[in-house]
Amino acid sequence: MSERKMIAPELELQQPISPHPDARGRATRDVLSLAQPRPRWFLPGLLAGVASAVMAVLLLACSAWLITRAAEMPPILFLSMAVVGVRAFALGRSACRYLERLTSHDAAFRQLAELRLGIFRRIVPVSPAGLAGTGRGDLLTRLVRDVDDLQDLPLRVVQPLLVAGITALLSVVGVWLLLPAAGLTLLVCLLLAGVLGTVFSGTLAARADRELAPLRGALADEVLEIVENLDVLTAFDALSPRLAALARTDERLRRASLRRSVGVGVQSAIVSLFAGAATLGALYLGIGQLGGPGGLLGPALVVAVLVPMAVFEVFGMIPLAAGAWRQVRVSAARVADVVPQTVPPEIPVDATNPQHLRPCIRAVDAAPGQATDQATDQAADQAADQAANSNTDPAAVSVDYLLQLTDLGARWPGQAEPGVSGVTLRLAAGDRVHLAGPSGAGKTTLAQTLVRFLEYTGSYQINGVEARLLAQADVRRVVGLCEQRPWLFDDSIRQNLLFARDTATDAELGAVLARVGLAEWTARRGGLEARVGERGALVSGGQAQRIALARALLADFPVLIVDEPTANVDSAQADALVRDILSAAADDHRAVLLISHTPVPDALITTRVTLPATEGVNPCGAVRGGAATS
Amino acid sequence: MIGALLGLAQTVIVIAFAWLLTQAITMTVAGEPLSQIMPTLVALAGVVVLRSVLIWLLEVSANRGAALVKSQLRARVMAKLAERGPDWVASQQSAGLATVVTTGLDALDNYFARYLPQLLLTVIATPLLIAVMLWHDLASGLTVIVVIPLIPLFMILIGRATQSVQQRQWQALQRLGTGFLDVVGGLGTLKIYGREQRQFIRIHSITEDYRTRTMKVLRVSFLSGFVLELAASLSVALIAVSIGLRLVDGSLLLGVGLFVLLLAPEAFLPVRQVGAQFHAAADGLAAAEELFAILHDDAAAPDLALPVSVTDAAPPANPASAAPATPGSVPGVLRLHGVTVRRGDTVVIDHLDAEFAPGEISVLRGVSGVGKSTLVAALLGFIPMTGELTLGGAVVDAGATRPWLAWAGQRPGLFRGTVAENVALGAASADPAAVDQKLVDQKLIDQKLIEQALDWAGAASVSADTMLGVNGDGLSGGQGQRVATARAIYRALTTDCRVIILDEPTSALDADTEADLLAGLRRLAATGRAVIVVSHRPAVIAVADNVIELQELVYV
Repeated sequence: MSERKMIAPELELQQPISPHPDARGRATRDVLSLAQPRPRWFLPGLLAGVASAVMAVLLLACSAWLITRAAEMPPILFLSMAVVGVRAFALGRSACRYLERLTSHDAAFRQLAELRLGIFRRIVPVSPAGLAGTGRGDLLTRLVRDVDDLQDLPLRVVQPLLVAGITALLSVVGVWLLLPAAGLTLLVCLLLAGVLGTVFSGTLAARADRELAPLRGALADEVLEIVENLDVLTAFDALSPRLAALARTDERLRRASLRRSVGVGVQSAIVSLFAGAATLGALYLGIGQLGGPGGLLGPALVVAVLVPMAVFEVFGMIPLAAGAWRQVRVSAARVADVVPQTVPPEIPVDATNPQHLRPCIRAVDAAPGQATDQATDQAADQAADQAANSNTDPAAVSVDYLLQLTDLGARWPGQAEPGVSGVTLRLAAGDRVHLAGPSGAGKTTLAQTLVRFLEYTGSYQINGVEARLLAQADVRRVVGLCEQRPWLFDDSIRQNLLFARDTATDAELGAVLARVGLAEWTARRGGLEARVGERGALVSGGQAQRIALARALLADFPVLIVDEPTANVDSAQADALVRDILSAAADDHRAVLLISHTPVPDALITTRVTLPATEGVNPCGAVRGGAATS
Repeated sequence: MIGALLGLAQTVIVIAFAWLLTQAITMTVAGEPLSQIMPTLVALAGVVVLRSVLIWLLEVSANRGAALVKSQLRARVMAKLAERGPDWVASQQSAGLATVVTTGLDALDNYFARYLPQLLLTVIATPLLIAVMLWHDLASGLTVIVVIPLIPLFMILIGRATQSVQQRQWQALQRLGTGFLDVVGGLGTLKIYGREQRQFIRIHSITEDYRTRTMKVLRVSFLSGFVLELAASLSVALIAVSIGLRLVDGSLLLGVGLFVLLLAPEAFLPVRQVGAQFHAAADGLAAAEELFAILHDDAAAPDLALPVSVTDAAPPANPASAAPATPGSVPGVLRLHGVTVRRGDTVVIDHLDAEFAPGEISVLRGVSGVGKSTLVAALLGFIPMTGELTLGGAVVDAGATRPWLAWAGQRPGLFRGTVAENVALGAASADPAAVDQKLVDQKLIDQKLIEQALDWAGAASVSADTMLGVNGDGLSGGQGQRVATARAIYRALTTDCRVIILDEPTSALDADTEADLLAGLRRLAATGRAVIVVSHRPAVIAVADNVIELQELVYV
């Protein structure tokens, strides 16, 4: 026992889960592909952007031509086209820019919904057991900030790159038509500025960028620890060193930000340098070409000299886009790390054609023990096969039992040892079983396994059907769980109950609240519309348990597991709570499995089971860590 | 100051570049040979190099300034939170507070790194550029003078319209942030009820709502950018056309015309940049308002002077010896006389008299909501109280620190780090960042005493080397509770506290472990300390030397 060590799960998570960098890159690309809007949304913004950038270049070119040509004092009629052009480009440039910003932001926001849904789609199968260990502050920054930061991919990376690239190319062609050598100079300068700017800033800033995201996460964690545990820190005179430690993390974050700013500065400087070089080059090359029959005209030369200035102003977007790209990639990689690509073997996955449980329930309701349905026949056959294979007493296999566990074991993802093992237990309708055992014996692991959040070894049968063969959703229609720290949503009491059965009327909600002893409390707080606060902050531990129980009663599970309802309840209330739970839950011939370390009066229960202590690791604190401190 | 100098230098460089380029172009167009133009070209090359160096310096100094300001603000907010005390912080949404101090501050980046420097540059560069233009070509200079004031005017008008929407947007953003997290965090519960599939619709509608709200704001706030760009490019167009027409007349020289044409966009550039950063900066300022609300919210500040410093000083090796004059070293009875505690306007504890003797285990009980935790918070000095509190006959000031008191609350309140670091909290920093302090800490942590404290807390099975995650992740509820109790015991033993208060220390423990812990508490009391346990457990009450029942107050 003394050798028992718990691994801080986020330490594992911070390392790439997949051993292959390729697989990790692919996971990152998958996340990134969720962030890029489809062409139909993206294209209007891109077109408006290119139009605006090209008109900005044309505005300067046209103005320069107008002035130089005017200096030659031609008849004013020759200038009228240029005059119209200058005004049109000035107007069009601003209008197109406005359009570009509106359409591209709209496209990015539309994609945000797809992005969040895509990420959520991946979280659903592995939650909650497969997401264990993301520290709460980290979870906050990761899923809210990183996912939202991915919006920068279309807005700050793809769009500017395409706009600047297309505009630069068009301008090079334009200048090349006037003065081929100047066109080539412009092209070379653009390429050099792009490559050198990106390489320089890459080496200087890439490391700082990579440092920024984890440092931000670390800072958020530290801030959260201080804010949440201010009472502890104050009482132990540990606040000053903590704040000093925070100041040091802050300092590291600041240094990383500064290193990055040096990189950004270098980029802008390089772009400015090559902009000057392109202008100078065009001027130098133009001097020799000017005049003579068929030679370069003054106005054309001025255009060729001045256009690079406007092009480089547009081109300045590219290094910024490169910087944004690095940040987006880091965010995407972090999102990919949190959300596993494949479901770990410890988490159950639905078979492609699981059997449906509904007939079994009906069979039990109508005549317990009688398999009338064809599907149930199959199920019974299968169960008999299973029983024969696992060498258990065939007589014990009977649909009389709602639940039957034989040598059941389960393991948390990433753990070497099983969290619980060797559990044999039967539960029939009307049973009220008290499951006890020392901390760490795997009580919570068992609860999470029974609702199929964790995969099991051994046998677990529901109405005689092996649970592995059923859809998880069907298992959860039979087996319900009141979690140790029930999650209350930041909404009204009504909404926190309704999702268990959304057809429930207010009268039914009132009745169920009365059953769990909350009628008066609800009335005092202003009825069903009273809010429970963020993570149930406005509700005490006992009240949260009662709300959770009310939910479970509404959902009317034939089997209800109640995991440590008194863990966060003071003991004056604890006895009353346990009594209320058992009497309220047992009303409808329901089977109740109460997991509790507190003693329960014999009159309230039918069976006692004690789990022995195991060597296994029980990271239940980590699993429900998100709600740990409400 | 450096920013202003750099800005001035950059403006001079811009003017020099435009002038030299114009000179070179006019000489070329006039057909002068390369040898004549060469010196100008060389000077131009020099200016180009200088310009890029200045751009780099400006960028670095702006970012440096922003990072410094952010750190300062963060430190000030955290110091303010420490000053306001745990009771105030507990009344806030902790995740919201953390957001303000982290992401909320990052939103200020644009304000400090982009908006303010450009504002400064506008003040420096724009007048200088206009003066140069006026000097060379009165008409163009006047055009700029007429147009430029229109920009802030429109900006203010549009900004007024956007401002209230912006503020609502920041709140909506926060709500949305917690909304998405609420769904992800509660996913386990949702799955139990088979409701996970419906969340797709919910997330979609939340995000679509977010999009429509944001686009409403953006349509207006992008309008200010539109007006800005339009004013800038239209006035450049006006100047170009007017110069062109006067050149045809012969009333203006090409050199002057080109020079002014090159300067005109530069005159608008700083204003345009200010405008471009405006809505990003406004976002940041809306975020900052919550920050400043915390910094300036003194309305309900309790009169508690808990001294807190943000210095980097190592914690004193022995706080008891650091404060020899406190009652900590005086053994004696903790006596409450007529103690009254209020929460807001409600009297929670009314004229309580009680005595806690050294060497005894006292149990504090009463029905839920009677104010046991409130009394504990008052004893800790987190909330104000009236009446008299004496320790060994010496009066304890309500606002003074409590070097004589060790405590474990209902929540474990553990930190990232090893169990040993958690148990030794206060004696040594349990801070993973303080790598350089590690050696010092190892000496400060008394390993034997940690083992003893864990043993007395009934947590002998928890290894002191176990590494915990953020907020103590990795321990079960019962284990965390015992580690917190061990932490209080360790503090009591190392800093010679006379009083130990444990709030529901056995609520998550089974009977055997509870017995272990109670045996440990008996040994702790035997060292001559007063042990106060808030509990209802029959086993705890059975070992008590003294039971104090808190009575519920009846209100009309």
